[in-house]
Amino acid sequence: MSSETDVSTAATSAIQPPPIEQQEQIDAVIAAHRNESGALIPVLQEVQQLFGYLSQPVLYCIASRMGIPFSEVTGVVTFYSYFTTVPRGKHTVRVCLGTACYVRNGKQVLSDLKNELGIDVGDTTADQQFSLEVGRCYGACGLAPVVMVDDDVHQRVKPARLRELLAPYHKPTSEEDPDE
Amino acid sequence: MSSATREVIICGGGGCVASGALDLVERFRTALAGANGSVRVRTAGCLGPCAQGPVLTIQPDGVFYEAVSGDDVDEIVREHLVEGRVVERLCRPSVTDGKPVPKLADLSFFRHQTKVVLRNCGRIDPVDINEYRATGGYDALESVLKSNSADEVIEMLRVSGLRGRGGAGFPTWKKWEFARDAEGKPKYVVCNADEGDPGAFMDRSILEGDPHGLIEGMAIAAYTIGATQGYIYVRAEYPLAVSRLTKAIDAARSAGILGVSMMGTGIAFNLGIRMGSGAFVCGEETALMASIEGRRGEPRPRPPFPVEKGLWQSPTLLNNVETYANIPAIMANGPEWFAAMGTAQSRGTKVFALAGAVKNSGLVEVPMGTPLGELIYDIGGGITGGKSFKAAQIGGPSGGCIPREHLSVPLDYESVTKLGAIMGSGGLIVMDDDTCMVDVARFFLEFVQEESCGKCVPCRVGTKRMLEILERICAGAGVEGDIETLETLGRQIKDTSLCGLGQSAPNPVLSTIRYFRHEYEAHIRERHCEAGVCPSLVRAPCQSACPAGVDVPGFVSLVGEERYAEALRLHRERNPFAAVCARVCFHTCEDKCRRASLDDSVAIRGIKRFMVDQEIVIQHPRVIENEDNERRRIAIIGGGPAGLSCGYFLARLGYRPVVFEAEQRPGGMLVQTIPAYRLPRETLAREIRMIEQLGVKINTNMALGRDFTLNDLRDQGYEAIFLAVGAPSGMTLSIEGEDAAGVVEANEFLREYNIRGSVPVGKKVVVVGGGNAAIDAARTALRLGAAEVTVVYRRSQEQMPAYAEEIAEALHEGVTLRCLTQPIEVIKGENAAVRALKCSEMALGDFDRSGRRRATEGGGQPFTIEADQVIVAIGQRLDVESVLGELEVELASNGFIKTDQLTGQTSQPWLFSGGDVASGPASVVGAIAAGERAAVGIDFMLTGEDHAFWRMENALDTDYDPDADPVPFPREPMPTVPVERRKWSFEEVELPWNESVALRQCKRCLRCDYGKTPVRKEILYAEAHH
Repeated sequence: MSSETDVSTAATSAIQPPPIEQQEQIDAVIAAHRNESGALIPVLQEVQQLFGYLSQPVLYCIASRMGIPFSEVTGVVTFYSYFTTVPRGKHTVRVCLGTACYVRNGKQVLSDLKNELGIDVGDTTADQQFSLEVGRCYGACGLAPVVMVDDDVHQRVKPARLRELLAPYHKPTSEEDPDE
Repeated sequence: MSSATREVIICGGGGCVASGALDLVERFRTALAGANGSVRVRTAGCLGPCAQGPVLTIQPDGVFYEAVSGDDVDEIVREHLVEGRVVERLCRPSVTDGKPVPKLADLSFFRHQTKVVLRNCGRIDPVDINEYRATGGYDALESVLKSNSADEVIEMLRVSGLRGRGGAGFPTWKKWEFARDAEGKPKYVVCNADEGDPGAFMDRSILEGDPHGLIEGMAIAAYTIGATQGYIYVRAEYPLAVSRLTKAIDAARSAGILGVSMMGTGIAFNLGIRMGSGAFVCGEETALMASIEGRRGEPRPRPPFPVEKGLWQSPTLLNNVETYANIPAIMANGPEWFAAMGTAQSRGTKVFALAGAVKNSGLVEVPMGTPLGELIYDIGGGITGGKSFKAAQIGGPSGGCIPREHLSVPLDYESVTKLGAIMGSGGLIVMDDDTCMVDVARFFLEFVQEESCGKCVPCRVGTKRMLEILERICAGAGVEGDIETLETLGRQIKDTSLCGLGQSAPNPVLSTIRYFRHEYEAHIRERHCEAGVCPSLVRAPCQSACPAGVDVPGFVSLVGEERYAEALRLHRERNPFAAVCARVCFHTCEDKCRRASLDDSVAIRGIKRFMVDQEIVIQHPRVIENEDNERRRIAIIGGGPAGLSCGYFLARLGYRPVVFEAEQRPGGMLVQTIPAYRLPRETLAREIRMIEQLGVKINTNMALGRDFTLNDLRDQGYEAIFLAVGAPSGMTLSIEGEDAAGVVEANEFLREYNIRGSVPVGKKVVVVGGGNAAIDAARTALRLGAAEVTVVYRRSQEQMPAYAEEIAEALHEGVTLRCLTQPIEVIKGENAAVRALKCSEMALGDFDRSGRRRATEGGGQPFTIEADQVIVAIGQRLDVESVLGELEVELASNGFIKTDQLTGQTSQPWLFSGGDVASGPASVVGAIAAGERAAVGIDFMLTGEDHAFWRMENALDTDYDPDADPVPFPREPMPTVPVERRKWSFEEVELPWNESVALRQCKRCLRCDYGKTPVRKEILYAEAHH
């Protein structure tokens, strides 16, 4: 902990450290990559897997634990589109705009999905249910146009059938867990 | 159940998994639970035909089933596995006769492939190392480790001629030699599996389908160059690939193949996986290495090359997945075996990811040098949905488009590069006529612009500028000079960018400009997107597809509300010949109808037919009287659809043009060659009378060249002349015996019957040709009493230019069609009259410039078809001299008159031209559109202003609920007169619908125009005029 307080200058003092259990998880990930060169990216990938996104406290914690300047960590995180620093919706809807999907009406699918969800690409619906993203090829070109909802691949999507496609994901959490 | 062990092998490639393959595995295991283990159920890697997934094979029977659903499992078990009967329903139909083909080896998709890299994909369980070893896997590594020096391995690679499969095609042996010779320790072996090109999934399928093949290739590389550590850099979007690869590496390590001592030799090699994080630029080798080092994936200048200073400044050998996957096969089978495949410069095979508008999309592997057309048609099965091939995009964002005139290009590094594309890693997207090439270029630019890492200015700023220009063009705000700016910028970016991403980023733009410049020009000058894609230029795809720009959603929705007169007036805003086109139009509107993506296109022509049948009082359009215009003298030569349409639109601007028609009746081809059973004469006469009522004077029996010349008209004070005489002369066969009595030209034959009322007809008639004139002549001859009518055409039926409906009706009426038949001699009988036509059989060969397979000599014995009349319908031409006389007018390369696309103006400022005389033989609606353009052009020349008020789009006041689900009614066919009533009768064949059918059909329209602001299209500016 001492090294962390050492680098906490005025500029970063506003950043609260992540909760202690998160810190422990981060430490475990870093430990698994201890003797590896170039371990920063695998560490970031695994931590994002754990928490869903990379908050500033989490990034700060990773930087100090790995002895890498915070600026460099941020530089890497902002460079790669896989990393996100804001929380995402419960479900991520990804519209493929790879070439095959694009020429098979993917653009229409995207614009209709935007209307259907009422959000733009990169945004999350107000009820935190859906985030909308654009993908560049999931390698399922034979099934174009493709929409991925979380890990489910929906193939040969027809714009007129989008509502049916989203319906199964619409279930509010309260119905699933009536006791809560 | 037979005692022999059988296997159900279910494709476990990404595509089939997405289609439900894993569920199938469970269903089979459950269904076969009581089969005492005599049938084994397992998954294997990608088999290739992803579009028809999930697919499976049953071995050792070699039977292939596609699109298998969970409900089919019981039937397969009962019928095939128990009874031994193939379930034909689930077999792929043959491309030639549609019959089911049970055996995988017999299918066209597989027959034309040669699998080297994909040798194990779809056959073995990808993560089971024992299965891999059972196929001889790791034998090559073992043999290299034990008995070959590094020099020998490099020499074998040199002899094999293997070149890098990542796209650039650098000789692999040279790279390996550099890496081996490089000073420095440790050395690294890296596999680039960051398959970022949209539309490419070759590497994915290898990683998922045969990970051990890749590992073995990398291990051989490590031994050869002396590396101890390797990395496979896989993109994060391929979780299945990562998981299988991880299992395979673990298994290889446990088996002592990887690790401190490869196969007990004491040589160490460790292999790790690094996952990408969604940065396309990391596919560039220096950026990829930066990413493995844990930094931002920015490229750096080369040299030094990675073989000298790579990962952590150490010598690094970097190859693509497919390159490594080739290595074990080359070592096992010998370099000469490999070099025997492909072309002299490009040896071996190449894997392509075939996708887009092709029937059998999926993963295919063919010898280098295979013609593009064979890949698309023989393996890919041709274009989906009856559309035609437009271009193949090859090489992803770094590549380019190959248009239909180059379908015969052999797919090897040099040939593809020569056409402005690149082989790339092998992504091959097939595009049909529904693809806008400007939009495609914009799409790729948007992609590289987003993925540009921003390190160097040409790529960061240059691609941004190019994208802005392309967006402007697609939005209808392009300006003259944009195309040239794109070309200049593109060349500069190519020359000055830091890495491969920037250096190749302009390729999609430059190659589409090279082959589809006219589309860019149409976007800029005419604000027209011929594919119907660019939203700002396309109110509705049907309207955009109509050459005359008729407001299709407008008249369809008005008919749907029973507002028939309004609907007709709206139609006549852009096309006076509503009733004519309701009969003879080739309806490109229906080809582009978006409803087709849901079920089937709206039957627009049928609705139009119903609409015009409701016309009791002829509906005149809006006319603006103008005394100045009334005094000006304009001549129109040719009273066909182009000339009459030009007169119609001029009259609506207040002019009083005069039409000169050579025949005794106006109408041109509509009255001379199109038979009355397709277009009743009173229907045509009525619309011509309407045009006359607007103030167009028609002088018949006045032929250009015979009764007057162009200069005569100028002398008489005509200020502008519209030349629309068509292409009246027929082409000849140029074969022996053509001068025999009874050989006639189709247009002459039809004209004589249609104008004079009778024509001699044989008993056994042979018509030569495949166009509409041929079919019209055949059906006319049949009606006039011919006992046998045969149409011979040298190409295949699909290639016939005649409309499919017409061909179908002709066959229905009893016309015999003999395709792939080329006449070689007319055999004369008594009195030098036709006795028979001698023909030879043709076969389809390679692809010609029109993108169709060339008909070549089939090699069979010539044969004869008895005939007493031969009607020749092989095309029309223009006798330029008889039309122009001594007047100097520039001609286009096809021998027709060169005209401005927007105005119809020729190289003589006062002379305008349109229809067949300018474009070559084309459609009725195309001629109508050309007449409209010339009317606007003539008005513009005379007044300096554009007054075409009808070009303003209309906001519709018809009801439409955008939230309602589409109505479920089907597309309706047109009823027809029974065949037995057609002989000796020229009664109209097509019958109208009743009202309820028509109204229901109207409601099927998806109203693509809904919510769009009406604009005015095709504005003529002073500078557009020269």
